[in-house]
Amino acid sequence: MNRVVITGIGVVSPLGNDPDTFFRALVEGRPGIRKLASPWSASLALPMAGTVDVDIDAHFSKIRRIGLDRVTLLALLAARQAVSASGIALAGTAGENAGLFWGTGMGGATALEASYHDLLVNRAARLKPTTIVMAMNNAAAGQIAIEAGIRGPSYTYSQACSSSAVAIGEAYRAVRHGVVGTALAGGAEALLTQGVLKAWESLGTLANAGSDQPETACRPFAKDRSGFVLGEGAAALILEEHVAACRRGASILAEIVGYGNTTDASHITQPDAAGQARAMRMALAEADLEPSEIDHINAHGTGTKVGDVVETRALKDVFGDFAKQVPISATKALHGHLMGATGALEFIAAVQAMREGVAPPTAHLWHPDPECDLDYVPLVSRPLARSFNVMSNSFGFGGSNAVLVARRYRAASL
Amino acid sequence: MSTLEVIQQMMMSEFDLKREQLGASAKLAELGIDSLATIEFLFLLEERFKLDLNSEPVPIATVGDIAIEIDRLLAHKLADAPA
Repeated sequence: MNRVVITGIGVVSPLGNDPDTFFRALVEGRPGIRKLASPWSASLALPMAGTVDVDIDAHFSKIRRIGLDRVTLLALLAARQAVSASGIALAGTAGENAGLFWGTGMGGATALEASYHDLLVNRAARLKPTTIVMAMNNAAAGQIAIEAGIRGPSYTYSQACSSSAVAIGEAYRAVRHGVVGTALAGGAEALLTQGVLKAWESLGTLANAGSDQPETACRPFAKDRSGFVLGEGAAALILEEHVAACRRGASILAEIVGYGNTTDASHITQPDAAGQARAMRMALAEADLEPSEIDHINAHGTGTKVGDVVETRALKDVFGDFAKQVPISATKALHGHLMGATGALEFIAAVQAMREGVAPPTAHLWHPDPECDLDYVPLVSRPLARSFNVMSNSFGFGGSNAVLVARRYRAASL
Repeated sequence: MSTLEVIQQMMMSEFDLKREQLGASAKLAELGIDSLATIEFLFLLEERFKLDLNSEPVPIATVGDIAIEIDRLLAHKLADAPA
């Protein structure tokens, strides 16, 4: 079985548009949740979101932008960073041994909604001819493949909040089993449209407007939590087979050693601690690690009433007595819930935490919920006593649970 | 303004291209305008010239090809107009 290493990462997020800026903002507890500037934002109960501030014109010509939804633009930016950071060359036959594993929840939501608006409101007789290629869920994967020269298999996973964690996990498996030598994995989401936000609002999982500090509305594991705040962005990683990465002198950031993927099969939205615990155990078993060897966890921690209690229960089930000792961070409080991109973004946060030896805070956790009584690193970041192994949890609607475990890179296999 | 000039103006604004790139013999593919971008542009031209380009597809490879096709359809439209 091959070892799988990470050799490049890319981030486009509400907290900054490269991995270092993103992680620094997380550690400093800077909020990425801001007032939504859209003309229709007054129609929302809480007009806040984790928005990406990026100069699209500076990165894409007008011709290049034709047929690209915002989700694909963000995806391309993150993928370019990861490829460039890894220094990998995928031109020619190298690209045939590379695969693309991408996650998204709603794909080209902006293009789809604009077309419905044209049709139903403007009574347009026909729609923009690029609507389909902009809106389809695999648009980002196709466009990344074109730019990067990836010509092996490509997959788009749509598993709600766990989409891009699944994408990374499946990419890891493909490299581990020798299906591909290199994988570009990650996810993107750009769903801050009026229709999508109103639909989320109706579901009752978004944070309410009851606070005089709306940028702190998402409060994972807090007694006064009321739900999450949606965000947009993209995160990408280059995974490589270890020997090939060493041979080309790649700089290795971390090693992926475990992946668990389970389905609750109980309810379409209500999470299930048993399903989550099985995914964590599966990832630990593959990594050949005891729970007590995990030094930091990036929680799914969305800030919903039910979700945070269930995740706490699942963590206690898996980690037993050690559950209260492992520092656990819920970073969605600061960057928002990036849906199809969130698993990849948070896995990168966990890897950065391991590399830098510091756990980012769970922001806005002024009033801990007694039912969520683990070490959720409230309010301020904390140096990690040990930082060899980290876990990242992603649990999505549809009962989809994906757990990734990464290890500090050492050349010799343990 | 001739049809070609209107098309050149529209291409400058739609695609951020410069006038000197848009000679009649300039190839669309070499300008970075692929088949999807061409269709989008033809839709804009239909609205601008009040034409229906859906009738029969014609090979369009250059900026000049688009002008020739538009002029041909405009002539048809004039001929078909009630006296």
